[in-house]
Amino acid sequence: MPYLIHIAILFFIYAILGVGLNLIVGYAGLLSVTHAAFYGIGAYATAVALAHYGLGFFASVILGIVITAIVSLLAGMVLSKFKDDYYALASFGFNVIAFSIFLNWESVTKGPLGIPGIDRPSLFGFTFSANETFLALAVVLFGAVYALAHFIANSSFGRVLKAIREDEKALEVFGYKVAYFKLAIFVIGAAMASIAGSLFASYITYIDPSSFSLNESIFILAIVIMGGLGSLRGTLAGALFLILLPEILRFVGLPTDIAAQMRQIIYGAILVLLMLYRPKGFIGEYEVK
Amino acid sequence: MGIIPQIIANSIIAGAIYALIALGFNLIYRTTKFFNLAHGALTVVGGYAMFFLYKELGWNVYASAVLAIVFAGFVGYILDKAIFRQLRLRKASQMVFLVASLGLLTVIQAIIAILFTSQFQTLANNSTESRVYTIAGGIITQTQAIILICGIVVLALLTLMLKKTMFGRAVNAVSDDEEVSKMVGIHTDKIIGWVFFIGSAIAGLSGILVGFDTGLEPTMGMHLLLKGVIAAIIGGVGTMHGAFAGAFLLGFAENFGVWQFSGEWKDAIAFIILIIFLLFRPQGIFKK
Repeated sequence: MPYLIHIAILFFIYAILGVGLNLIVGYAGLLSVTHAAFYGIGAYATAVALAHYGLGFFASVILGIVITAIVSLLAGMVLSKFKDDYYALASFGFNVIAFSIFLNWESVTKGPLGIPGIDRPSLFGFTFSANETFLALAVVLFGAVYALAHFIANSSFGRVLKAIREDEKALEVFGYKVAYFKLAIFVIGAAMASIAGSLFASYITYIDPSSFSLNESIFILAIVIMGGLGSLRGTLAGALFLILLPEILRFVGLPTDIAAQMRQIIYGAILVLLMLYRPKGFIGEYEVK
Repeated sequence: MGIIPQIIANSIIAGAIYALIALGFNLIYRTTKFFNLAHGALTVVGGYAMFFLYKELGWNVYASAVLAIVFAGFVGYILDKAIFRQLRLRKASQMVFLVASLGLLTVIQAIIAILFTSQFQTLANNSTESRVYTIAGGIITQTQAIILICGIVVLALLTLMLKKTMFGRAVNAVSDDEEVSKMVGIHTDKIIGWVFFIGSAIAGLSGILVGFDTGLEPTMGMHLLLKGVIAAIIGGVGTMHGAFAGAFLLGFAENFGVWQFSGEWKDAIAFIILIIFLLFRPQGIFKK
C-alpha cells in the first residue's frame, strides 16, 4: 500500500507537468522541450525557501510561480522568434542553460551535491508528513491545475489558441496578436510545471540538478505526445502509462537498471510507431504537425 | 601566456570532432530537410561497434574501424528505409520527423546501454600509450592528430564528391528540389538512402575517434549531436565549409569560455552562441 501511494504521488506530479506542457504543445502548437527547466525552478524555489529561509511551503509555491513566470516570459519572448524545428532546438538550449545554472550556481543550489533536508509542507500547524496526507495535497493541487487547464481549453482564449495552431495567418488577418497569446500560454504552462517542482522537492525532501535535465523534458514531452495533443485526458493516460511502465517491468522480474533502460526503449519505440501510424497519440484530438 | 597555446590546441581538436558530426548531419539535412536527431545515435553505434570488435573480440584496429564505420552507415541506411522513407511517403511534417528521430535516439542509446552497460569505457589501450606532439607550446596526442586529419580529409572528400561526381550532382539536385529530381529521372529514394549511409558512416567514424580520445558512454550521442547541430547552424545550414567553420568557432568559444569560467558551463556556452546566432544571424556564417 505505501508503495501504491508513492506511485500515485509521482503520477500526480507528472500529470501536472504533462497538463502544463500540453497547453503549450497541444493547444498552442509550440514544440517546447524545456519543461524540466521550469519544473526545476519550482523545485529549487521550494528547496531554498524551506531549507534556508524557513518560509512556508505555500509561500514557496507562490515564489516559484513568480520566478518561473518571469523566466518563462523572457525565454518565451526569445523563443517566439523561431519556428518549428528551430523552436524545438532553441528550447533544448534553454533547458541546457537552466541545467548548467542549477549545477553551477553553488551559493544557491549547492551544485551537484543538491539540497537535502527539505521539509514536508505544513498548513496552520498541520504537517503533511505522512505519505497519505501528502497524496491528498498532491490531488488537491493537481485538481486545481487540471481545472484551470480545462477552463482555459474551453474558454474563448483556448479557442483562439486552437485557431492559431490551425491557421496562424488567418488569425493575424482577423487582428489577433498571435504572439501575445502564445506567450501567455507558455507562461501559464511553465507556472504549472513550477507547482509540480515544488511538490516534488517537498515530497522527495532532497533535490539535485539531475532531475531537471534535457532528458526529463523529453520524457514529459513523450507523456504529452503519447496521450495526444490537445487532450487533457490523454495526458493523464500518458502519464499513468509511463509512470507504471518501469514498475510493471520490475514486477515481471527485470533488474532495476535494465528496467530503466527498457522504459526508454519502450517509450522511444512508441514515439516512433505513433509518428508512423498514429500521430494523434492514444486519444488525441490533433496530429503532431 | 603559457596556457594559451594549449587552449588553442584543445579548441582545434574539439572543433575537428564537432566538424565531423556537423558534416554528416549537414549532408543528411540538406537532402531531407529535417533535424535528424537519430544522427547522434549513430556515433554511439560506431563507437560501440568498434569497442566490440577491437576490445572484446581483439581484432586488428584498422579492420575493426572499417567494419564499425560500415556498420554505422548500414544502420543509418536501415533507419532511412524502415522509418524516414515511410514518413516521406506520407508527406509528414518536420515536427513528425523530429519526434520520430528523437524516439530513435532514445531507443538506440538504451539498447547500447543494455548491451554494454552504461559505464564509461575507453577504446585506447594503456600499453600502447599514444605519442604526444608539442606544437608551438600546445600538446596534442596522436589520437587528436588523427582526429584533425580525419576532419580535413572528410571535408575534402565530401566537397569533391558533391562537386565532381555524378552521384554528388544527383545529391545536389535532390537537395534543391526532390519532386523535380524525381521528374527528371533521378532515383531519389536510392540517393537519399546513400546519403544516409555516408552521413551515418561519418557519424560512426566520429564515435570511434571520441572513443579513443576521451571514451564512450551510451548517452554521448545526444551530447555530440547537439554540438554538431549547433556547429552546422552557426556555420550556415547546408554548406559543407560552413559546417566546418562553425565547428571550429564553437570549439574555440567553448574552450576559451571554459578557461574564463569553468568546465561545467561548456554546454551552456554552446547554446548561448546558438541562440545569439539564431537571433542576429540566422543564416549562419556562410549563407547558402
